[in-house]
Amino acid sequence: MADLVGVNGQREHFRVVGKPNLPGVLSYALATGIAKFGIDYTAPDMLHAKFLRSPYAHARIVSIDTTRARALPGVVDIVLWDDPDLMKLGASPFGPPKSYLGNVAHQELQEVGAIVVAETEDICNEALRLLDVKWEVLPHVVDLKKGMQPDFPAIRTPEDEGPPDMFSARNPNDPPKRGNVSYVSKIEGNIEEGYRQADYIIEYDTNLPAFASHIPNPPASIAWWFDDPYHGPGKSLRIEGAVQRRENIARMYGMPPEKTVQEGLFQGGKYCDWGMRMSQEITPLLAKRTGRPVRCANTREETFDFLMNQRFMHIKVGFTKDGLITVVDDNSIADNGRPGNSSFGVANDQGYGPYYTFKCENISQKYTVVDSNRGKMYLSGQHCPFNWDAGTMAIALIAEKLGKDPVEIAKLNLHGPTSQKDPNPVPSFEACLETGKKLMNWNWHPSRAKRLPDGRLHGSSFRYQICPRHAFSGYDCKLELRDGKVHLPTQGPCTGIYAVEANAMVVAEELGLQYEDIVVDFDYREKFTPVGGGSDGTTASSWATKECANILKRKILEAAIEEAENPPPPSMFGFGAPRQPSPFKGRKPEELDMADGKVVLKDDHSVGVPLAQATAKNIFATYSGRPPAAIWSLGMGKMLDTMNTAWCEVAVDEETGVVEILKLGVVADPGKVMRLTSLESQIDQVMFFSQGCQLLEDYFYDERTGVRLNNNMIEYKKPTMVDVPDVTRKFLETRAGNAAYGASGISHSLANTHLIIIAIYNAIGVWVDPPATPDKVLKALGKA
Amino acid sequence: MSNDNGVRVTHAAAQAQAAETIASIPSVLSEYSCTLCKKVFMSYSDLKYHYETEHADAVLPVTVKLHVNGRDCEVLVEPQSTLKQTLQFKLGLTGAKEMCNEGACGSCTVIMDGRAVLSCTLLTVECEGKDIQTVEGIAADPKWKPLVDAYCKWDAMQCGFCTPGFLVTAKALLDRNPHPTEEEIKDALAGNICICGTYPRHSTAILEAAAIMAKGGLVNG
Ligand code: FES
Ligand code: FES
Repeated sequence: MADLVGVNGQREHFRVVGKPNLPGVLSYALATGIAKFGIDYTAPDMLHAKFLRSPYAHARIVSIDTTRARALPGVVDIVLWDDPDLMKLGASPFGPPKSYLGNVAHQELQEVGAIVVAETEDICNEALRLLDVKWEVLPHVVDLKKGMQPDFPAIRTPEDEGPPDMFSARNPNDPPKRGNVSYVSKIEGNIEEGYRQADYIIEYDTNLPAFASHIPNPPASIAWWFDDPYHGPGKSLRIEGAVQRRENIARMYGMPPEKTVQEGLFQGGKYCDWGMRMSQEITPLLAKRTGRPVRCANTREETFDFLMNQRFMHIKVGFTKDGLITVVDDNSIADNGRPGNSSFGVANDQGYGPYYTFKCENISQKYTVVDSNRGKMYLSGQHCPFNWDAGTMAIALIAEKLGKDPVEIAKLNLHGPTSQKDPNPVPSFEACLETGKKLMNWNWHPSRAKRLPDGRLHGSSFRYQICPRHAFSGYDCKLELRDGKVHLPTQGPCTGIYAVEANAMVVAEELGLQYEDIVVDFDYREKFTPVGGGSDGTTASSWATKECANILKRKILEAAIEEAENPPPPSMFGFGAPRQPSPFKGRKPEELDMADGKVVLKDDHSVGVPLAQATAKNIFATYSGRPPAAIWSLGMGKMLDTMNTAWCEVAVDEETGVVEILKLGVVADPGKVMRLTSLESQIDQVMFFSQGCQLLEDYFYDERTGVRLNNNMIEYKKPTMVDVPDVTRKFLETRAGNAAYGASGISHSLANTHLIIIAIYNAIGVWVDPPATPDKVLKALGKA
Repeated sequence: MSNDNGVRVTHAAAQAQAAETIASIPSVLSEYSCTLCKKVFMSYSDLKYHYETEHADAVLPVTVKLHVNGRDCEVLVEPQSTLKQTLQFKLGLTGAKEMCNEGACGSCTVIMDGRAVLSCTLLTVECEGKDIQTVEGIAADPKWKPLVDAYCKWDAMQCGFCTPGFLVTAKALLDRNPHPTEEEIKDALAGNICICGTYPRHSTAILEAAAIMAKGGLVNG
């Protein structure tokens, strides 16, 4: 269902799109360190700010005596939660007055109660130590199963709850909240009937640990106010470090957008974590109060937020003796985190999650959602892809039970491309499977059935995913032919996904130019951003750029004809040789084309004029819109177009519990490859990211105090260069996505929690919950 | 970074900007400002006297002489300041990035007396008289263009926050071993964490750069 209504959607010959090894427009800035991220900015006479952070998992500040802290030389300002400035900043048209900074902390290290501004960060820290804070320690939940006990004290009051998250799932028939527990359910089809049709029923647990939202660059901002009479009376605001959120900051401080300046382009890694931290929002207020630039930066310890909350899933699946699933009965316990936690990854994925691709229509999903003091997931987390593996596990278990290849079980259960009732195969899926099997030399065996020559057990696994069609937001593009060069203005940002480069490639493709010919103008005032919902939404921006490029092209060709007929008078200041008469006189715009940097005759490319001379005009083209058939705009219809498969082989040493990944394979269908080098890199990223989640990463809490024990990069392990295997990749181009030329963003849909875990199961015949550290593997084998 | 060509940053532009940043490193201290009350003194002994009389409980800043990217400079820092902080807040060098601030990630790597070191774990006072090279120094030196080019050609970066740390470690490796194997590269870069998972790109880029530099005889001049 590609781009049928767009221009050149079915283009067959590509000169630019798909080319490897084209440096990103900002690559040199990144590699040489001249790129500045929020945390890098400094300003003359700058002050530093630090939030007081709770040493308790749940506590209320009764009072703060600031006398000793204020007396510390170098302290410039201390702002308490009930300060009128913070009350004004937190004001909302709904509900009672609320401070921007509360006096109740719902998580250890949460910002609470006070902000200190001083000449150095060290002085801030010292002043924070000198605050005499009277705490009232409150009961906490870091163990979900304890927190959901009926006699456990409720940890939230109605005032703690913010407005409901717009994405939270709701069902009017769900029971009301009780203690720390709320209930969310979604039941489709006839569950009883599904059980009746089943020949077998399997029951299993899928447990997901919480993963860290590991933004590489700790969030930080700097702000100051300055005179700028050209944009109206009053001071203007300069803020750096809140990339892509300039307009939100302007709104927060009641500033007109034109008086709010943010020039930085480098956002750093976000990984679907789009939430702003307080350190990125507070500096304008502090700069206003002190009259000096203020910088506020999170430490790494303060940056250990959730990318995915903890979840325990207990699942029953009924299926026939062929392996056809007849019922899924999913009972999950999900961490609701602290107030303000994003509902993505809690229960939101019920409508768009693990069972989305199954033919089976009898699906019950009942979620027990437990309030906790464990942490917070900011908008929006790697929600759907991570939860997807409840379905992957079902396929692996059915395969094991029936002694059949899981690939065949997956094929049997996948619905067709157009709807859940469509019996046809999905071409992209079929193609991925065929290629994947060859790539991996796939020869599935039941668990514990294969040993390697060195005695270790061999296991393999396979998983598929869809490319979610996120492109529900529109894109407002602008292209300019200015002084003979094509400009692509954009607010950016640079998020590390080389999005605008793909846009520039599409523009070059459509205009017969080279990638290097397209001038990318990053300007924070521009509207166009190539970033949209998920990797698919981002890729879909290329569709809008393509449309815009064709509007520009039409205007250029019209101008070329107009000037051929009526050559503009020579400029009185013109230098050099007089303009040659145009070869297009007597022609029509439809007879022209653009190729090799020129405007040419469509049927004879040897007749042409370099673009810079084809028209003396500056020409502007705009396009606002989005590609057709974005799934969200079609009410989440169950459609399947471009798909991806991931494959894994492991060796498990039964003596030591050590898991070695022998091979990771990805056969993915990005519809059409746009920027090859970056695509390869993003596949590596998502596979290594998932490897970390399955073999290394977990949060540990001290249950008595609720304090996290490993929110640092020494004890919270991420894979390094020596840990990661090569990822063997193959890309298919079925042109079935909904971005330009049928492309589709794919990388985040490959994020997985159980690909390696299933391979371990296939090797040793018992489940190990992620992360499968050697001690847990040994324990599962009954050896520890 | 903007010019007539938009913000497509070329090697030449990055090199020029790095050189400019190095050129603006302050060389000698001409005044001594009190960290706590911002009073300015013309000599260190005046500042010392000021601390003794006005801030007797506070820690007196110290002066440290460094040799950074080929330039002699003198800084007035708190004794507990790390080299990373000094580079950023005193010398305006932000190429060394702070990801972990505890010696776990390699993003803040600089080269000191020929060895790759972590600037977040070094006190500035320990670096007195040492020869320090940051990523800006590598970027400004044309002989390392092949390495920077290879990094850009192979997208050995995504968000780019860890990248300068990798590049500095790679340069230190090539300094001592101009023809590393893939295994040697992996070992050398094992202390650098890239959360964006760009790992395989680095060996590709470094191997390519090493080959190009060997042909041009560019490594170690
Ligand atoms: S910031 Fe220095 S090692 Fe991580
Ligand atoms: S490129 Fe983002 S952390 Fe390495």
